[in-house]
Amino acid sequence: MKKYLRISVFAVLILALVVTFAIAGCKTGTESVKATAKTMKAADVTIGFSVWTMEFTFFQNVEKGVKDACAALGFKYTMLDQKSDATQMVQDMNTLVNQKVSGIVSTPVDPGAMGPAVQKARDAGIPVVCADIGKSGPVNALIVSDNFKGGGLAAEFLANLFPDPAATIFGLGNCKPQWTYARQRGEGFKAKADELTYNIQSDIIVQNPSAEGGYDTMQQMMSAAPDIKGAFFVSGREAVGAANYVKSQNKDIKIVGYNGDPEEFIAIRDGILSATILQQPYVIGYKAVETLKEILVDGKSYENVEIPAEVKLVTPENLDQIAKEVMDSTGNSAFGE
Amino acid sequence: MDDIKIVLTPKQKAGSWLGSFGLIAILLIIFGFFSLTLRGTYFNWGNIKNMVSFSSYVGIGAIGMTFCIMTGNFDISIGSMLALAGVLGASAALKLGGIVGVIVTIVVAALLGLLNGLFVTKLKIPAFITTLGMLFIFRALAYIYTNNNPQYITDRFWIFLGNGSFLGLPFPIFIMGLCYLIAFFMLRKAPFGRYILAVGTNSRAASLSGINVENVKILVFTLIGVFVGVSAVLNGSMLGAANPGMMGDGYEFQVITAVVLGGTALAGGSGSLGGTLLAALIVVFLKTGMSNAQVNSYWQQVATGVVLIVAVSLNKLKFWLLGQAQ
Repeated sequence: MKKYLRISVFAVLILALVVTFAIAGCKTGTESVKATAKTMKAADVTIGFSVWTMEFTFFQNVEKGVKDACAALGFKYTMLDQKSDATQMVQDMNTLVNQKVSGIVSTPVDPGAMGPAVQKARDAGIPVVCADIGKSGPVNALIVSDNFKGGGLAAEFLANLFPDPAATIFGLGNCKPQWTYARQRGEGFKAKADELTYNIQSDIIVQNPSAEGGYDTMQQMMSAAPDIKGAFFVSGREAVGAANYVKSQNKDIKIVGYNGDPEEFIAIRDGILSATILQQPYVIGYKAVETLKEILVDGKSYENVEIPAEVKLVTPENLDQIAKEVMDSTGNSAFGE
Repeated sequence: MDDIKIVLTPKQKAGSWLGSFGLIAILLIIFGFFSLTLRGTYFNWGNIKNMVSFSSYVGIGAIGMTFCIMTGNFDISIGSMLALAGVLGASAALKLGGIVGVIVTIVVAALLGLLNGLFVTKLKIPAFITTLGMLFIFRALAYIYTNNNPQYITDRFWIFLGNGSFLGLPFPIFIMGLCYLIAFFMLRKAPFGRYILAVGTNSRAASLSGINVENVKILVFTLIGVFVGVSAVLNGSMLGAANPGMMGDGYEFQVITAVVLGGTALAGGSGSLGGTLLAALIVVFLKTGMSNAQVNSYWQQVATGVVLIVAVSLNKLKFWLLGQAQ
């Protein structure tokens, strides 16, 4: 008994020491970021790219943009894959800091969870630019699509197909709240629909961000609003899944997606999907490296700046032209016929 | 009475060596391979500290799972448990400070573990079914409580726990060390450790010998909660947020992999905390190496599966060499 009492006291003392060290170790004062070092030569610059996942075409195109920009500017380049894991995302940022890269580009799987990791990078004098998705912590810049405008384009497209607002019901397949910038697509859609006096009767968060998730969500949407005429899904994969559900039910409901993935282009060609809002991931990735070049080589200062990237409406009428443009810029043959 | 001296045959000595050093050898081979092929990007002190620090996320949670599997049970709700405890603790921290938030996280996780234990022992629902149901319930409660919004962690004390350093080492390493020290004493020096092994070997015989099997199981499930709570604290600190949807996603799979890789028998009755710790390090060192080498993520999964099969096979080989004598 005495022995276990000794052990318990020992454990409590160790715990108390840990807590004391933790409190003592906390820095006081306001948070600050270390100013980026003086300008560098291009040949000395290494860009570290932390990507959400290389499974999706969108991020493959972002990566191509980052890689091509590095090649064009004479920078060295390294890439780590978060594999859609927030903890991996943080570990990868720390790894890049340990590798002493000159600058970091990130497409974060959980933007709200990167704050401490970004702080560490900035404390080490490494600027961080986020390429799409979102940001938290003291990032230098965020290159992101004009999502609010894109959502508005989707609403306008559907409104043109159904000129009578009083007789028309729309649905919205939204994304989870942590993707705050992607949420702006839904907000833009709702704002434009309100402006044009259209009713959005069903607004559902797609829990499983995939084609299967879109399929299931469309099923729920049609149960909740049987007279629905059109729906906007803030992600292309989900929109294609939703469109396939509509097709399986032999209904004529117009579905609009967002992203401009190859499967959306195929679905538009096949007449399953009505339209999509094209992002330009290659341009986003390229621009992210150009921004780092301005910071590292030109000595410019960026702190928490948002730089919008244009979006485009893709319909059956302009599909082939836009597909060619995308293929020419990214070399991705998946956009071909 | 004279001490009995056990003389091992060469085959049994090989088995004993394998049992003691097999996992260390695997870790050294992985570390050596990537150090040689990746040079400075892998073999540097900052990267090593980073890898050991991040192994604490799985390593600490795996302590409780080691105990659980040693009793012949399973808990697959730990990922959702981590999320629910994390969001509740982060929410408390916003109002009452980081120290309270950390305590709330660990206490909530312990209570959730206790709940699992009570369902398994008092209602006699198999552990797999109980924790499968709780996997959905805990995660759903995390969504409902937060309205699907992440809870941000900004308290300096909490942030320091996962990101700070002491004596040049990341603080999570000290926390992991302390947890393993406590667990080692519980398993090897306290009667509780013997009870766990007895229950896992033969619960009926354990009961007949006077061990309160139900209480042991309840305590084990509660301990899972405690260690998962500590992991939730560190994970929340590293991420600066507790996200109800993403926190702990796939955690149960990672933890069980570490426990099985570490040599704990799924049937119960035997296990090794040292093996669990080494396995957690092996998984992180391997993943980091493959990531730095930009190995395709699908091939990374293949590699992880191969290492798991090799490690379990080595464990089987150990018992064969020992001639089942332990």
